[in-house]
Amino acid sequence: MTLVSVKNLAVTFHTEAGPVEAVRGVSFSLGRERLGIVGESGSGKTMTGRSILRLIRPPGRITADEMVFDGIDLLAASEREMRALRGPRMAMVMQDPKYSLNPVMKIGAQLTEGLRQRDRLGHAEACAKAIAALEAVQIRDPARVMEAYPHELSGGMGQRVMIAMMLIPNPDLLIADEPTSALDVTVQAEVLAILDGLVKTRGMGLIFISHDLRLVARFCDRVLVMYKGRVVEELAAKDLMAAKHPYTQGLLNCLPRIGGTRGPLPGLDRDAAWAN
Amino acid sequence: MRPGPTEMAFIEIENLSVIYKASGREVRAVEAVSLKVEVRESYGLVGESGSGKSTILRAICGLAPISGGVIRINGAPIATPRGKAFSAEVQMVFQDPYASLHPRHTIDRTLSEPLAIHGIGNTDARVRQALLDVGLPANFRFRYPHQLSGGQRQRVAIARALMLEPAILLLDEPTSALDASVQAETLNLLARLRAERGLTFIMVSHDLAVIDHMCDRILVMQHGRAVEELSREALAGAAMQTDYARALFAASADRMLG
Repeated sequence: MTLVSVKNLAVTFHTEAGPVEAVRGVSFSLGRERLGIVGESGSGKTMTGRSILRLIRPPGRITADEMVFDGIDLLAASEREMRALRGPRMAMVMQDPKYSLNPVMKIGAQLTEGLRQRDRLGHAEACAKAIAALEAVQIRDPARVMEAYPHELSGGMGQRVMIAMMLIPNPDLLIADEPTSALDVTVQAEVLAILDGLVKTRGMGLIFISHDLRLVARFCDRVLVMYKGRVVEELAAKDLMAAKHPYTQGLLNCLPRIGGTRGPLPGLDRDAAWAN
Repeated sequence: MRPGPTEMAFIEIENLSVIYKASGREVRAVEAVSLKVEVRESYGLVGESGSGKSTILRAICGLAPISGGVIRINGAPIATPRGKAFSAEVQMVFQDPYASLHPRHTIDRTLSEPLAIHGIGNTDARVRQALLDVGLPANFRFRYPHQLSGGQRQRVAIARALMLEPAILLLDEPTSALDASVQAETLNLLARLRAERGLTFIMVSHDLAVIDHMCDRILVMQHGRAVEELSREALAGAAMQTDYARALFAASADRMLG
């Protein structure tokens, strides 16, 4: 079943120096599965994720032939309808907990804000839900974390708090923008296992945005490789090593390997034609 | 002073402890870690965040308090405060090139400041050569950091560290803020500079594949303690002795690709 269908998406920023096309002609569909979007910085992967939630501020503009979420036309939806979708139906975990959590609000207050305002839950009930969410992301001492301010948490804890916050309303679609790039490999593995469990048990659709090809190959079902705003290759994650596009191959080859030769790593020769 | 007849390593860290006192609570960032690095060796420190690996580098530089133990370079315990002789010998490259360069200083000023402090002349030629050495165009000299990409900034940070021609470079996650292709370029640059200048590296990273690519020996750390020292061969052959080192190896995403 298709959860999200995007056809010919473009994001254009009208600047003084002329229009800048951050995303050009991107099409994909997503079922209740894990879709990875990989690319270097500036390739348009985050903008693609934000477009689905219509979180692009002017002067940025979204155009598409089709952008449908669970039968709802996102291009025609009013701002009011979008607000009703964001959170309960689709959510996004942003990249950096340092900038995405409110620095002057305790974690508990931030986690329960939505429950109390939107769902009109009482204090005790909202707190219980928030603690359950923190436990679901493997935070061992949820009571302490509820009382902590964001700066008192490590990057990994902050990242898990953000995931917990997005999961409280039980969305159908989660867009995770580099959710693990601030984490160590061991914590990274834990967070990925949490996300994986949610896709399997809740039947959630996941768009996983990352610059780390190896991680995406390990974790996702399908991968879109983006370059300069375009999808240059779409393939099943298990076939990543057999990627055909020279850009995908270049991204793979420039990574060092354990036990590899120690000669210079191959650089990435960019071909201007890939962007067309 | 050169070391005596007894065999001494170039850098020796013996029982190093770093303890911070924060609001009555003791935080033991590093506890009784010992390691030895030979001349021209590249030594890697790996572990999760909070394992104390960066703190060791910071303790060498004097950016973290040494609560116990000794650090010797060339057989002599390092002086506190570190002083000019130390900075001519040891330099550090930090993780985040967006934070480590002064935003309101031009690249020229960033690169010539160490020369001015140490009273080294011929600034103009040295700055030009430094940019050339790290593969940046000469006209970057009069740019500000915000006019450079992340990879270019990290090249400037490396150039700055090399201005005083140190023998030892401390690298704190030098590529973890960079894209894969830029990481490859930066690692190649570091490897080339090490070969050309006979540098000794101590490199910190959470990415085992990067450490494996760059280092001869590796120390795995956890909770401020040294867990296991591995040779490059032992790492490649998965011949680690401790469970933690094995878990780190298994979690390394690199393992996925055949």
